[in-house]
Amino acid sequence: MRRRPGIGGLQTAAAARDQYRLLGENVAKLRTDLMKEQLSTFRSQLEDFARKHKNDIKKNPAFRSQFHEMCAKVGVDPLASNKGFWAELLGIGDFYYELGVQIVDICLATRPINGGLINLEELCKMLSQRRKGAREAVSEDDCLRAISKLKVLGSGFEVITVGKRKLVRSVPTELKKDHNEILELSQAQGFVTVEEVERRLSWSTGRATDALETLLDEGLAMIDDGHRDGKRRYWFPCVSSVSSFVASETL
Amino acid sequence: MQTAGEHKLPHFFHYPPYFTLQPVRETREKQIQLWKELILDYCRAHKIFVIGLEEDFPLFSNSAIERSLNHEAREAFLSALVLDGRAEWMDKSHRQCLILWHRIKDWADIILHFAKENGLEDSVMTVEEIRTGIESRGTDIHGMDRGVLMRALKLLENKGKLAIFKGTSTDDEGVKFSV
Repeated sequence: MRRRPGIGGLQTAAAARDQYRLLGENVAKLRTDLMKEQLSTFRSQLEDFARKHKNDIKKNPAFRSQFHEMCAKVGVDPLASNKGFWAELLGIGDFYYELGVQIVDICLATRPINGGLINLEELCKMLSQRRKGAREAVSEDDCLRAISKLKVLGSGFEVITVGKRKLVRSVPTELKKDHNEILELSQAQGFVTVEEVERRLSWSTGRATDALETLLDEGLAMIDDGHRDGKRRYWFPCVSSVSSFVASETL
Repeated sequence: MQTAGEHKLPHFFHYPPYFTLQPVRETREKQIQLWKELILDYCRAHKIFVIGLEEDFPLFSNSAIERSLNHEAREAFLSALVLDGRAEWMDKSHRQCLILWHRIKDWADIILHFAKENGLEDSVMTVEEIRTGIESRGTDIHGMDRGVLMRALKLLENKGKLAIFKGTSTDDEGVKFSV
């Protein structure tokens, strides 16, 4: 005779479920505990590491960059706050704030020349020039980190990638796709002509001149009518290196 | 004429668009600023007082990049200097420009300093001596434009620092310091 499901059966089933759940929770807890322990071990190791290699982190940009990468992987942001262990240990927060201020300075000083768009490479070069006296060398990675901290201020600092180069933008103008393409095209020689833009990008004349005029108005381009062939060239100080030289004199 | 090569030229001088007057205001202002500084520095370094707009002034072209300033640009940069009080047009048609890499009053101070340095406080000198004599050798005064020198001397005369007296010809105008 088939047993019908009775109270007893239900109770057994419920008890079994509870048992399973309890077991599951235990296993999960054990695992998280283990993970937590591992993580905290890792953190303390990281701290030990940081303490041990304090000088390397401060002085060697490549090492610093790798250290940052490692920190990011375990969810530690040494720049998150200027207080606390990391800042006290490494003074790394101050370092980036200082860089940030200097970056803002350079961007403002070179704005009349480059229209607020500067090659990261150049920015870095100028930064090093300015910091000649400072002990720590500065890498592009450091610049990028300092700039990412500047974003908090909402001042419109941003790094954009155009072709192979990274440019730092300090003006709120949004560069449209067309403008980016022209900037990319100009990287070969430092300048473009209307004709070249039309041919290389397969654009209509109107589209090319429109985009170039905008870049000119924004102060990102300069015209050059002096070539023998009589064709107007549009130069881009942000992709050439002239801006750094001009600006370093005025700084 | 001196070549531009002797002077350490700023890098913008090798960037072609700086030889075309820029249409956008802010860019042009920066461009003019850089040119003004360059012209003054260059004239100071080479003791040049007069720039002829139609002449081959070394700064007006850069053969390495095959660029030169057109007349409009030359006039724009010099006019900006005129506005700053650092230059003066010598004729109405703006063909020649006098560059005051020291302002007249600064020239006057330099001359006073020169007189004190050389113990000329009560001495008499001819204008030519001041310009070309041994005493002024190695100073900015040496070989300076006669017209500029006369204006600086007159300024000092008005202040009672010296007296200018005429000889028989313009060549032997003399100065008596009374510093």
